[in-house]
Amino acid sequence: MVKMLNIVPEKCTGCMQCELACSWVQTGSFQPSRSLIRVNVFDEEASYAPYTCLQCDEAWCMTACPVNAIGIDDATGCKVVSESLCVGCHLCTIACPFGTVFTTPHTDTATKCNLCGGQPACVTTCPTDAIVFTESNQAGDWFGPWAQKVDTNHLSAIGGEQSAN
Amino acid sequence: MATHNLIIGGGPAAINALETIREFDADAAITLVCDEPAHSRMALPYWLSGKIPAQHTHTADDAYFKKLGVQARIGERVAKVDPATNSVTLSGGDKLDFDNLLIATGSAPMSPPIPGKDLPGVQPLWSLADTQSVLEATTGMERPRVVLVGAGFIGFIVLNAMFKRQWDLAVVERESQVLPRMLDATAAAGAEDYLTSLGVGIHTGTTVQAIKDGGSGKSVELDNGTALPADIVILATGIRPNLDLIDGSGIETDEGILVNDRMQTNFPNIYAGGDMAQGPDLYADKPAIHAIQTTAVDHGRVAGANMAGRQDVRYPGSLLMNIADVCGLQCASFGYWDDPKAEPMVINNTAQHIYRKLLWTEDQLTGAIFTGDAKDVGMLTDIGMVKGVLQTRTPLGGWKEFLRENPYDIRRAYIGAGVAQKLVGTTLTGRPARPRQFHFGGAKPVASVGQAHVAFMGTKPD
Repeated sequence: MVKMLNIVPEKCTGCMQCELACSWVQTGSFQPSRSLIRVNVFDEEASYAPYTCLQCDEAWCMTACPVNAIGIDDATGCKVVSESLCVGCHLCTIACPFGTVFTTPHTDTATKCNLCGGQPACVTTCPTDAIVFTESNQAGDWFGPWAQKVDTNHLSAIGGEQSAN
Repeated sequence: MATHNLIIGGGPAAINALETIREFDADAAITLVCDEPAHSRMALPYWLSGKIPAQHTHTADDAYFKKLGVQARIGERVAKVDPATNSVTLSGGDKLDFDNLLIATGSAPMSPPIPGKDLPGVQPLWSLADTQSVLEATTGMERPRVVLVGAGFIGFIVLNAMFKRQWDLAVVERESQVLPRMLDATAAAGAEDYLTSLGVGIHTGTTVQAIKDGGSGKSVELDNGTALPADIVILATGIRPNLDLIDGSGIETDEGILVNDRMQTNFPNIYAGGDMAQGPDLYADKPAIHAIQTTAVDHGRVAGANMAGRQDVRYPGSLLMNIADVCGLQCASFGYWDDPKAEPMVINNTAQHIYRKLLWTEDQLTGAIFTGDAKDVGMLTDIGMVKGVLQTRTPLGGWKEFLRENPYDIRRAYIGAGVAQKLVGTTLTGRPARPRQFHFGGAKPVASVGQAHVAFMGTKPD
């Protein structure tokens, strides 16, 4: 079993340190817009949770790539982009149905969470252990219950109808 | 005795089928016949622009074929398919038998009936050979003048490559707007405006009457009276499926070869996939051709699984989606982006060429169009989520009104509507996707981190 990032939404305070740490280790600058993990903010109900690549089984990014620039890292089992193989077609950025593949603006190449090679910085930096790096068969199990809660609470907080969820 | 699988083609449908057959059947015999080395057509513009060498467009080599136990007949063509005898005849005369056949011959550029189209320097830009030809023809030219005939998605990817080389560019399009099969009129007007500001000549609503040999170079004469000087004329007026080889075979076609959700034609041991296959459409009952990379890949994987005996692997249907960098303006469209009956929600910031349009059918998102600066990280962030909504056909309920007030905020609607959890365990073939077996230069992707990570981890408090 490989280790994956798992999120504990109840512990996330929306502090954004994961975005700062990620952008720092990945780009050498503190730039949340370049972070590969993004915090989802639902201020109206004070609910927050980050997410990044769920290391999904289908790996739409990897199968979409026309030049085989995305593969599976032997050490971590993680889907990773090779910057030298990537030509910058951006197909992976629209193929990923989770929206967790991004473009590096100055090289025009794709980038995504690579689990920092096995020592994810977001996990290290999270002050509340809202992000953990644990053995899992399936990442993303936490998503459903949190999304359900968000759906009910957010829409009633802003006075909307409930979603068909 | 091992099943003999014959695959015709060398593009993504063919290569993905080959790898999938091998994934599910270690003993299968596989023969591949294709007229050019197996390569990615999508990668050709990056060779044209000078970003990568020709070899980087290739998706296979002899070592790869040997490793996968594939007999590869590169540089050969199939002239005729004969379902009655389960055999094909090559143009050189050889006859090959098969147990299963996959036809993945793709499409070819249409040749418009323009006087002068056979002059040197007038050509499509579709194949490896075409790309080589343009590079050779422009060697030594300081600033080639190029006229692109046809402002479609493929033409514009070529345009972007030539723009990177700083060539002198003009585009001729017979419809009233550029990218008529990707952008609506408003977004297209923004793109035209943007291109004009970059010095690209835009000539819409006009056709090429003739191409003539002029004094220095050629003259492209338009029906509106304009004459454009050109060293190279690229013909990008559309593509059509390569179906000549099935003439008279009895294989059923409409616009392409008709296939079911296992990629089978009307002959159960003959499959088709990719640009020339007309198969299940995720949103419609009628089969469609979606001539895009992702459809070709999935067609290949479904066909390959079925050819290897996994008849339970079914294709849920293709979704139309495209993304193109138009000389620094990123353009993307999804689904029924042009549905006149849909309810639109639009952001149109003409000063910055930011266009975001969501199209709704009741509370279902059924189409979208995006344009924005390619350097704007915010432009592309989250548009994968739009694909996720469309792919899962998730109704957004009360989130529709939320988006009306906050049309940029796809993310919150995506999360609240429960899209992600539907996707997490989903696979096409019933097992986790495998990485491809070939990488240019043998460079397998690895996860690595830089100095910033080392420094960061070294400073964490205990």
